[in-house]
Amino acid sequence: MTPVYLQRGTLHSALGADLRAAGAALQRGVPPTASTFVLNELQEPRPYLGQVATGESLDQQFDRLIGETLGEPAGALDDCLLIVASTSLDINDLEDRARHEGGFSPDHSTSLDLIAEQLRQRWGFADAFTLNTACTSAANALLYGARLIAANRYARALVLAFETPSAIAQQGFGALGLISPSGHYRPFHPQRDGLVLGEAFAAALLTVEPGAEPLAKLLGGFSACDTSNLTTTREDGSHIDWVMRQALRSAGIEAEQIGLVKLHGTATGANDRAESNGVRLLFGDALPPLCVLKPWLGHTLGACGLSETLLLVQNLAHLPACDYASEALLPLPSVPLAITDDSLLLANFFGFGGNNASLVLQRCTGASS
Amino acid sequence: MSMAMAACSVRGDAGCSDKDLKAALTSWLASPPRRIDRMILQALLCTAPLKVKVLSNCGLYLASRHPARATMGSLLDAVCVHQLQPKPFEFVNSVSNAAGFHVAAQLGLEGPNLFIGAGPRAWQHLQALAALDLADGLIAQALLVVIDENGEFEAKAVLIDKPSQAADFAELTVGIDVLQLQL
Repeated sequence: MTPVYLQRGTLHSALGADLRAAGAALQRGVPPTASTFVLNELQEPRPYLGQVATGESLDQQFDRLIGETLGEPAGALDDCLLIVASTSLDINDLEDRARHEGGFSPDHSTSLDLIAEQLRQRWGFADAFTLNTACTSAANALLYGARLIAANRYARALVLAFETPSAIAQQGFGALGLISPSGHYRPFHPQRDGLVLGEAFAAALLTVEPGAEPLAKLLGGFSACDTSNLTTTREDGSHIDWVMRQALRSAGIEAEQIGLVKLHGTATGANDRAESNGVRLLFGDALPPLCVLKPWLGHTLGACGLSETLLLVQNLAHLPACDYASEALLPLPSVPLAITDDSLLLANFFGFGGNNASLVLQRCTGASS
Repeated sequence: MSMAMAACSVRGDAGCSDKDLKAALTSWLASPPRRIDRMILQALLCTAPLKVKVLSNCGLYLASRHPARATMGSLLDAVCVHQLQPKPFEFVNSVSNAAGFHVAAQLGLEGPNLFIGAGPRAWQHLQALAALDLADGLIAQALLVVIDENGEFEAKAVLIDKPSQAADFAELTVGIDVLQLQL
């Protein structure tokens, strides 16, 4: 795959109001404080990692995010593709309407491309579409956006990934028993008890040219569907192993060259077992350093492919230790990691619908860019 | 020479029930999945007739203008109005790529599986995404699907084996016989 640059990136999350603040909190080892919501019927509290309320409408949040990512002045965007990656889209509006009107009516239903099309018109993007492949949405948006511009379909692509605090998602994951009752988000811990959902708004500008201060290079990636189960992947890790191998192949590198694996690490029983097996199939006993980021951002679902990628590449030299490393299914770091800037990174993202995706990245420095 | 290898178009009116869709699907699939919603049924119904021509190294590129309204309505009513827990199978079906999962599982597809919100350029977007995977040799075939329901519904599927840049379904399927199913 032709390398493509993440030229600029923006992240608004529970960990910090922007990417710099989130990185500072990560490096200090200060996790965000979770709020709680109550599971319907069961009346049990569950944690949620929301960002500090801004009072902005969804449109205002999008516009601020895009403005910060493009910089001032944004200039004409008639050469730029917009890909909106999200599972929540405008669900909060639909939830509010159902509450106020006593139920859902079919005419409440909005088009799945509504947000992308409104942003295309408002900002003047050359083209726009919504990509929704559950928790791999943003990873796929990065991968396919990069390849579309490498194929000269567009000069640039802006990936906008977000996930809002939706009651449907909170109650739905709760009904599946996947949300942590303890609130301790511990991927790969033997007594892990589920995930903590998180809110995030993230954007990245993809270009073939590095620009002045590129964040990272996307060197390759692969995405495919494991049809064995709608909500879990093969527990033996064979599909994850295959996807990671295909991602490495697309980047033209070998597993031994990987300097860090950013695990998907949802802290659900099945996913962590499958990913642990997959990583061991690929790397054998020669495991590279590993890290998990969901305890810091929450599981930001369709946005995690970008929210975690941005947090990762900005903080390679200061990745936090895991305080249960000695017990974890995989050898998570017991001391803070300092990964060199030129290291090759493998980032995993898996989702419902059988979607498994892996990206190969490299942080940009003066030398590597 | 046609750009497409095979295609199917399914149409139905608003009175066409999920039961009707299930009944039609049994003509094409021996064991259709259980507890699936209307959008999954529509996706399966327009792709199952192409099963005999589909290879395992085929990617799926699916677009829908709306989610399955009945599923969304049931979830919203349960969660937001009646303060109930959603039914797990309804929540899982509401994931946009659930339809793509079931198509891939039933047709034995092992390639990439993408879902996009269908806007006015849905066919061009699907072709652009599929063209990347075809051109890179990741897949030998691509199955493109667009579902649109607004009163009446249309579910259309096209199987291609090389990159294409047609304007729409009609242009994509010039020169081949499209299987037309009217419910």
